[in-house]
Amino acid sequence: MRFFQTILFLLALVPNFLRAQAPLQISPNVAAQIVMVPQPRADTSQLENISATAEFDPPTVHPGEKTFYRVAVRATQNSIAWPDEIAAPPELHFSTATRGQLMQADGVRFQPLTEFIYEVTGTAMGHFTISNFVVSVGGHSVEIPAASIDVKTDTVTQPPRKLSLEVSATNLFFGQPFRVRVILPTTAGNQVEALRDVQFNGSGFLTDKSATHQSVEVVNRDGQLQSAAIYETVATPLAAGTLTLSAQAFTTSVMSVPISIHAQITISSTPVKNVLLLSDPLKINVHPLPMEGELPGFTGALGKFSYDPPQLSTNRLRVGEPAHLKIIFHNEGELTRFVAPASPRSHDWQIIADKPPATGFTLIPLTDETHATPAIPFSYFDPQSEKYIDLTIPALPVTVVGEGLPVQLPVFDEENKSAAPLILSSLAPTPGKTAASLKPLQLHGWFVVVQLLPVMGLIALWRWDYRRRFLAAHPEIIRRRLAKHELRRKKIKLQKAFAAGDAAAFVQHAADAMRIVVAPNYPANPQALVCADVLAQLEDAEQNGRAGETVRKVFAATDARFALTPQTQANLLALADDVENVLLKLEEKL
Amino acid sequence: MRVLFFIFATAFWIIDSSQAATNDSFSRGMALSRAGEFPEAAAAFEKSAQAQPASGTLVNLGLAEWQRGHAGAAIRVWEQARWIDPFDERAAQNLKFARAVAQVDEPQLKWFETASTWLPPNDWVWIAGASLWLAVGALVLPPVFRRKKSDWQQALAAIGLGIFLASLTANFGVVSRTNLGFVLKRSSALMLTPTRNSEVISTLNAGESARKLRSRGNYYFIHTASESGWIERSAFGLVSE
Repeated sequence: MRFFQTILFLLALVPNFLRAQAPLQISPNVAAQIVMVPQPRADTSQLENISATAEFDPPTVHPGEKTFYRVAVRATQNSIAWPDEIAAPPELHFSTATRGQLMQADGVRFQPLTEFIYEVTGTAMGHFTISNFVVSVGGHSVEIPAASIDVKTDTVTQPPRKLSLEVSATNLFFGQPFRVRVILPTTAGNQVEALRDVQFNGSGFLTDKSATHQSVEVVNRDGQLQSAAIYETVATPLAAGTLTLSAQAFTTSVMSVPISIHAQITISSTPVKNVLLLSDPLKINVHPLPMEGELPGFTGALGKFSYDPPQLSTNRLRVGEPAHLKIIFHNEGELTRFVAPASPRSHDWQIIADKPPATGFTLIPLTDETHATPAIPFSYFDPQSEKYIDLTIPALPVTVVGEGLPVQLPVFDEENKSAAPLILSSLAPTPGKTAASLKPLQLHGWFVVVQLLPVMGLIALWRWDYRRRFLAAHPEIIRRRLAKHELRRKKIKLQKAFAAGDAAAFVQHAADAMRIVVAPNYPANPQALVCADVLAQLEDAEQNGRAGETVRKVFAATDARFALTPQTQANLLALADDVENVLLKLEEKL
Repeated sequence: MRVLFFIFATAFWIIDSSQAATNDSFSRGMALSRAGEFPEAAAAFEKSAQAQPASGTLVNLGLAEWQRGHAGAAIRVWEQARWIDPFDERAAQNLKFARAVAQVDEPQLKWFETASTWLPPNDWVWIAGASLWLAVGALVLPPVFRRKKSDWQQALAAIGLGIFLASLTANFGVVSRTNLGFVLKRSSALMLTPTRNSEVISTLNAGESARKLRSRGNYYFIHTASESGWIERSAFGLVSE
């Protein structure tokens, strides 16, 4: 996550960095004037005559003291094949080499100068010499002359000239800009020199050349006020942990660089020798930004920010009409690498951030249903409180009105003559043709069910036809069904006659019931059956038993109505139970 | 019998009260439109259309939206009016006018979609259903009822089957047209991914037509005349919604 945070922060800084590195844009007129002025050219024609110098600075030191072994070659740094190690007496301890290059104007030409510096410590007394050696410069051999140093105790030594490096803070957070001052005190003769080709060594820092300036001021060094050239810039740590920062620069005349002077100094008429100086390294602790508590709208801003009240160009606008939201940010610290809040997405607004370094927004309403500008989230990290602080730009009330579309459009025909204009229709006086829903029936689930109904009807029809054909082939089923149905009706009448004490009706219904229940067995019309037909449906034993007797009595009673003289009727109603039993027995065979 | 009467009476009351509410909203929308209070008129017509979608209501809703400056919403509701009634001349006239002003093209329809515009969508499905079952009935019922197959029955089955097959294409066109939609808001973002912070491919004009290909979360994946991408649901209205 920290890695991604680093990448994002670097991406956020890329525009500013690129802008800082971009060449100065000049107008064509100015460019033409510059071309007309004779400019010095880099001298690359005399590779054979390249000179080199070598010396110890200072040439005399006490044992354990440091000195510098300097080699200056009048050639470009890239053309020199410098050896990894230099053959030196074992009493001299060499550090790693530092190198620097500058271009010196020499009349009409630029002369390159490359310096190699080794920090050397003499561990034993004596006179030591680094003998001459040869290096390859652009394919040509160049001799580096010998240099000697005396390490002894019986002499007064001058400390080597060094740069002093000061930073505004040594405990920082990742991405927190801080001021860096490279200080070059005056020489022993109180002569002030300026710095050029200043370079910061140490990984994990980004310096802002656009925030650079150089001045001569009075500084307090070891309790003494002293004039010094101060090169000041802003650096940003881009890595967490304990980082090392050092500086190197060439000395030069104060007349040759832009510099502001705030102290009394003596400017010598003698040319200043360009000498590469180093500073002692400085350790800086860089803490990573906390992951917890990060707020929306954090663009990597570290410091203590605030903004003036946001100003909207107008609070009444039409849909599609842009309005500008002016916001001016302030910071107690550096604002050089400030990344303005990003444009948030909004349904109702098109939001366009101003081109950096401006920090405003152009807001375009997309609908008249909005009543306020969108809130623009922004937050920063306060290194002092070590917390993220919300500084969201609040919503501002606005009135948005519709776009104001035309209601009539002129039309021209092919001959560019005016034709009947296109116009909107009038209002429809009635709701017109209606629909249950805009969703078509094809996509409704119930419609599929409705389509199954005809299918079900056809299936039912097929089953009905099948059954009908079956019954046509088996008519006895219908006869029995009808017989049962008719029997039920007769039984009801039988019971009613019994309840009413109507013996004549009782026996008539009983006889009819018996005929009905045996008719399907022949098959025959029930009215065509007689007593013998009913008896024939009983078992032999039953025919001669009580059941047969009951049948005979019933049919005899019904036949009595055809007699010429009235017949004496026994108590026929007493046969009710027997009739019931007979009907049950006959019904079992149905 | 009493139960049946109660059921019919209740159903009639529900239908009647629904129509009354619709008419109230429509009348109020008319009055507000005439008074020039278009936002309120649009709300009234929208309420009426939600209760009972109707071509005239949608035409008036579109007019109110147009007067409010909502070209995309107006074009969409006029398309919906033509969806319900393809013969609505007001909707056709307004669409022609709106597209000329907004500089947007008509949606490009496939041949079967064009065929589906000849009748309202639901008519096609009833035609298909009726013709199918007419053909099936003409073929199946005579044998069931032990009637001799006659020429006119055969002809009726053939005609029914023909109408059914022809209406299938139109029904397919109706279903296909349900994915047709219109950009509702001006400068709507067409995005690369269905996410809030997605890269914007391009911006679309209000009223521009596109087809919904699929949806995910709060986004539709649409295809315009020239490009495809994701758009927020609130910025895109389907004709069948």
